[in-house]
Amino acid sequence: MFATKRLQKELIKLNEKLPPGITLVKADDLKEWLMDIQVMDDNPIYKDETYRLKFTFSGNYPIEAPEVVFTPVQTPSRPIPLHPHIYSNGIICLDMLAREGWSPVHNVESVCVSLQSMLTSNTKRERPEGDDKFVKYNTRRPKDINFVFHDNGV
Amino acid sequence: MKVTIKEWNAVAAWRWDMPDDDVCGICRNPYDSTCSKCKYPGDECPLLLGECNHSFHMHCIFSWLKQESAQEKCPMCRQPFKSKDAVADDTEVQGDESGTALDTPA
Repeated sequence: MFATKRLQKELIKLNEKLPPGITLVKADDLKEWLMDIQVMDDNPIYKDETYRLKFTFSGNYPIEAPEVVFTPVQTPSRPIPLHPHIYSNGIICLDMLAREGWSPVHNVESVCVSLQSMLTSNTKRERPEGDDKFVKYNTRRPKDINFVFHDNGV
Repeated sequence: MKVTIKEWNAVAAWRWDMPDDDVCGICRNPYDSTCSKCKYPGDECPLLLGECNHSFHMHCIFSWLKQESAQEKCPMCRQPFKSKDAVADDTEVQGDESGTALDTPA
């Protein structure tokens, strides 16, 4: 199918060369991959921290967007980055990862780079509005949540 | 010395008239190769060039355009994807209902 070949190709490239601050942690199968990202500049909010991303692919990837969430790890320390568009359960509100914003020319690397830049450009040490409630009551998969992309500032 | 040719085989190579080393942005396979679903390159798995000058394997771009979320936009530049006539004429769209949809403005 679509996903298998495309993911195999991406994996070969990821094993060869990755942009600074992006590491492939685990890609044992072609369904779920773990990536680590770091912010490369001196933004004090994210300095010296590393964050873990979990990619989940459907059989129809890249026609369908992958599900991408931050996932916390105790050791080594991988917290959920503090950002007004990232919920404390790791769910990310980013148009590129939603139905309307995804394009099949994106890939794992470009998603990681976009998230790096989303963090780099942020200056607010805060969670999205209603984070507590969302984290407590949300049972939907990220792709089924109808985020409203109103904030072009970050 | 006299040489008599008893038998000969002609061999020809082909490639799409596209820039070297370029791959389809959707499946990341070379243009001269097939989409992720086909076995044989060439007429069986042709390319489709958009008015925006972005091209893809026809099967790849159709898979994308069939998605409602694609909103009939080019994956590269997000302009409405319309096939360039010159290419569309060469490209026989067989039994694919999405073929006609490409020519209708979004």
